[in-house]
Amino acid sequence: MSHCHTKVDQPHASEILPKLETPKVLSKVEELVRRYPVPKAALLPVLWIAQETLGWLPQEAIRWAAAKCKVSPVHAYGVSLFYTMYKKEPTGRFFVQICQNVSCHILGAEGIIAHAEETLGVSSHGGTTEDGLFTLLRVECLGACGNGPVLQINDDFATDAVDGELAMPEGVALTAERFDRIVAWCRKRASELPSEPARDALGGLFETHGHPGAVAASSEPQKQGYAPAPPALGLAATRTESGQVKLAWRAAPESSLLHLETRSGSKDFEVLATIPGKDKDWTGDLVAGTEIRIVAQSGDRRAKPSNVVKVEA
Amino acid sequence: MATLTVTQNFGKGAADLSVYKSLGGYSCLGPKLFDLSQFELIDLVTRSGLRGRGGAGFPTGMKWSFVPRNSPKPVYLVVNADEGEPGTFKDHVLMLEDPHRLIEGMIICGWALGVRSAYIYVRGEFLKAIETLNAALKQAYDAGLLGQNIQGSGYSLDIFVHRGAGAYICGEETALINSLEGYKGQPRLKPPFPAVSGAWASPTCVNNVETLMALPWILENGPAAYQALGTAKSGGTKVFSVSGDVKRPGVYEIPLGTPLLEFLNSPQWCQGVLGTLKGVIPGGSSAPVLTAEESAKANMDYESLASLKSMLGSGAVIAFNDTRSAVGMLASLTRFYAHESCGQCTPCREGTGFADRILKAVVRGEGRDGDLDTMLDLAANFSYTTICPLAIADAWPIENFIGKFRPEFDALLGSNAGHADPRVTSDFRPGAFW
Repeated sequence: MSHCHTKVDQPHASEILPKLETPKVLSKVEELVRRYPVPKAALLPVLWIAQETLGWLPQEAIRWAAAKCKVSPVHAYGVSLFYTMYKKEPTGRFFVQICQNVSCHILGAEGIIAHAEETLGVSSHGGTTEDGLFTLLRVECLGACGNGPVLQINDDFATDAVDGELAMPEGVALTAERFDRIVAWCRKRASELPSEPARDALGGLFETHGHPGAVAASSEPQKQGYAPAPPALGLAATRTESGQVKLAWRAAPESSLLHLETRSGSKDFEVLATIPGKDKDWTGDLVAGTEIRIVAQSGDRRAKPSNVVKVEA
Repeated sequence: MATLTVTQNFGKGAADLSVYKSLGGYSCLGPKLFDLSQFELIDLVTRSGLRGRGGAGFPTGMKWSFVPRNSPKPVYLVVNADEGEPGTFKDHVLMLEDPHRLIEGMIICGWALGVRSAYIYVRGEFLKAIETLNAALKQAYDAGLLGQNIQGSGYSLDIFVHRGAGAYICGEETALINSLEGYKGQPRLKPPFPAVSGAWASPTCVNNVETLMALPWILENGPAAYQALGTAKSGGTKVFSVSGDVKRPGVYEIPLGTPLLEFLNSPQWCQGVLGTLKGVIPGGSSAPVLTAEESAKANMDYESLASLKSMLGSGAVIAFNDTRSAVGMLASLTRFYAHESCGQCTPCREGTGFADRILKAVVRGEGRDGDLDTMLDLAANFSYTTICPLAIADAWPIENFIGKFRPEFDALLGSNAGHADPRVTSDFRPGAFW
């Protein structure tokens, strides 16, 4: 919330771990760790998952995230302090963030913030109302300057409440009246719903195969097939005047070696010659009817074969 | 109607795959793309004149050519969607309206650089955009447009979304890479540049959302057609986000080289300024401000704005009229940079906070003679002495607002009865972290 450290009552691990160690949360963590070459990289998203589950980030949750990502607790704690969106203390049910940066400022954000402080009766530096409904915070640019001044309620932009929904219609800026309508919307929602339904902090995480397994952050070369080498393209064969066959292709200077492979009849392709990757043509004797293709190689990686051409008579 | 290369699908529901395909999307994922060698594709992008749309305006083809071809390590593509520059909101809208165009652009870039895994680093506040992107990615995976062996080409690409957590500095490419790796988002010293050693010490290409979204059009219509849309040195079109005192703020795509005032007054775009124009910040909060006279001379392209000692930046146009206080605007900017300093380099960490506190005193009516010179002195000392350009981005507004609107500052200083008393600077704590 700010760079100042305030004392916050921390729950004991036994209170929060049962909420975090559920199959649903653990499967999400597993998916996240799979998406990066090293588990450490999943730290930011795993902290998001913890915050989504608990509503804020107690120190024991940070310790839990650190263990999942195989980093030290102090590293995870430092990271959580660096980013302003991780809540190090509980907030009200509706977290109201009003932008005070330059575009909103010139269009009257200070007036809105003063109005909000008066309406809610709390400070705009992170004050929470006594009923625990609202936390008010002035923030820097939210990235919706075309509607300035703007605010965010939890994760949604809003400049108005229309037909029972928060909305940010094009060209509609926040005013004192619209702010009151938004507050009324929040109060109505609080009276109808006992608590705010959980929202996926990672915006609909879905299952993937994950990172394909290159060993990163080390000097080890990547696994075979991780990133294929670029293929040679547009292979063509012509007869020269002396009766030899001239092969030409579009250069693949990214490759270190090119393997010319031939096949006749129903046999498999066999390597005929291996030439430097910078070559752009090759001339030699070939029997009519032979099929030929090129496989480029870059380091240890082999590209998919080029198109196959048949030597004409 | 000007030709649109990035925003043509706005308002058509293109976030859905079938709609995007019916509008001609994913048409290049065939021989048109996969019969091009890496070399030819990079050359094609170079010839289009496309420049990075995130702020620095570096030629995209040249950036790609720095990525080594024969690296034994994987090559990563990281999309910079950490849009935090005050005044900028184009990428947010682009991702909400047309996520599949971004995916298609990423496949093109991935093919050019031999990328196997790509990450989209989205700013934490844009949860709706993350939801849109994830839904679009899921559709693309299900349709075989991503994952193993895309459309039978033998090329495989995986794309993952990474949610940031609120730090302006993560828009700087090396800070973004640190954040992706699970560290604090503090910029790295360059060189090595990310193209050689970026994410997980592997070659990494960091591109802006808009840059990648221009690629499908370029591949479809050819580099010469794209180049012809703009000026000789600034090819193509650019998406601008307009805010402040204009009748219709919003996101507009215009050909590079359009005169600034024509853009602001055209009925097709911003429909005019509210009140009398006092000045324009042409390229996001770090770009030096232009006065009304300078604005009349400015064209919206890289060279014209550079000749006025400003910059195109991220394309965030903030117009303000003569009722707005330049002092108040500068105060909100210095507060922002003091808040967002990552705390790594001493000149920035101490200097931005110091400048912010002095200016706050001036705004409160407690200014002293010499405060402006102290601010300028601070700005001169914390620019070009740090790892990343955040300190410079604070110094430019300080120098330009004070330089161009000095009478306003002087009037405010003069209103303090004790303005002639010397400023005791030791009363001010330096530093951003207090």
